[in-house]
Amino acid sequence: MNLVQKAVAQGGKLAPIVIQDAIGGMNPSIFIDKDGDILVNVRVVNYTLYHSENQQQFPSRWGPLSYLHPEKDQRLVTENYLCRLNSDLELTDYCKVEMLNLHQPIWEFVGLEDARVVYWDGYYLIGVRRDTTTNGVGRMEMTAIDLDKTNWTAKETDRVRLEVPNSYCEKNYAPILDKPLHFIKWHNPVEIVRAEGDQVVQVSLKQGITPAKDQRGSSQLVRWGNGYISVTHEVDLFKNYLGQKDGIYRHRLCIWDDDLNLVGISPEPFSFLDGRIEFCVGASVLDGDLLLSFGMQDNCAFILRTPGALVEDMIAEALSAH
Amino acid sequence: MHIETLIVDLSHNPFNAELNFEVACEYNRLNQTASAVSFYLRTAEYGKDTHPSLVYASLLKLAECFEHQHDRLHTVSNAILQAIAYLPYRPEGYFLMARYHERQQNWQECYTWAQIGLYESMLPINALPVDVEYVEYGLAFEKAVSAWWVGRKDESVLLFKQLLEKDLTPEYRIAVQDNLNRIS
Repeated sequence: MNLVQKAVAQGGKLAPIVIQDAIGGMNPSIFIDKDGDILVNVRVVNYTLYHSENQQQFPSRWGPLSYLHPEKDQRLVTENYLCRLNSDLELTDYCKVEMLNLHQPIWEFVGLEDARVVYWDGYYLIGVRRDTTTNGVGRMEMTAIDLDKTNWTAKETDRVRLEVPNSYCEKNYAPILDKPLHFIKWHNPVEIVRAEGDQVVQVSLKQGITPAKDQRGSSQLVRWGNGYISVTHEVDLFKNYLGQKDGIYRHRLCIWDDDLNLVGISPEPFSFLDGRIEFCVGASVLDGDLLLSFGMQDNCAFILRTPGALVEDMIAEALSAH
Repeated sequence: MHIETLIVDLSHNPFNAELNFEVACEYNRLNQTASAVSFYLRTAEYGKDTHPSLVYASLLKLAECFEHQHDRLHTVSNAILQAIAYLPYRPEGYFLMARYHERQQNWQECYTWAQIGLYESMLPINALPVDVEYVEYGLAFEKAVSAWWVGRKDESVLLFKQLLEKDLTPEYRIAVQDNLNRIS
């Protein structure tokens, strides 16, 4: 059973996010602002992900998993749309984030990707950018935004690229929402880092419970009870007999105590809609329920309101597994 | 039905070809062609052995979605070719393949696909569950257009005149008449 099915059966709600300016949206990140506004950043791309599932009888010319960008434009371009939802999770406002023009992109992956929404002293979006070198070096970037909530416009006003020596691609740091500038960088062992200026500084490194598979950051860490919860993802990447790439993404719920010790994790991975490629990028708590934002096959964006009772069941299951 | 309702229905039975198709059609109606691609493709993959008309229609709608996204010609043709290979006795795929080549001005390819379609799809067929822009005289029209460009002027004129005898949509009637005015 997928999580959407469970959540809706227990009184939850699934809300698709449809941005009329786009042909689809992906990997939304949800966040409740200090004034109570429900914000969602939706990643809008210039490609369509083509992923054959089941017996893969109808692959693309390039295999079962392909990023179908325009044929005369090899780039995979990301733009970000900041949205506001009402309490029924209906889209009321959206706008494209107007980014600073600080450099010419010089790699195929263009733009701020898979941005998580926070609010840390003006910084709203934290994602990875890979277009500043000719070989795709990725670094986390924090983007400050002037968000005009009356006219609903969003303009980037500042950007900090977090430098890490001797690394090719840094991504999927999980922001700890109530600890500004702090992230979970790795989950096994748990490494907490802090942004200091444009540097990443290790705060702690300690062994928590050992996940069955390597867990990577997905949602932010949000307060739940006396600790935190977050959603992580795991990936199976493989190739078919023709050497064509393929993959399956699944998620788990992580339970953290107040000192950010990882104390529980779902014993089994879960899916949202039984798609093979799904990606959760956001979590937020609304009136005792957990809002999870996820993308499916890079082509659709959804918010799932997960009833608090179901979350408690998932937490109990995660804690009892260790 | 609203997309939210459709998706929730699908979550209860995620590999159901009919539900995936309904979600795809709704996303397509909303001009969310990337989203629609995901669910048309799931319809095809999960319905291959049980829902031939839905699968065939989904493959053709995939081509339509990619055509609307522009500059994905290889993917458009690939989806149409997959539909033809899946149900080679149906005419719609041949028509769309011929039209695809007409739009690329690949005149011999257009003529050949139209001719194959006219030859292969002689059996009576049931209607597809969605409109894929096929008309029963479409193959003859594509053959008439391309015939002129591959040096078969007399054949082209004859085919256009025969088309005028049919019950054409206004768009096709104008196109046929315009072509005849130019070439005869």
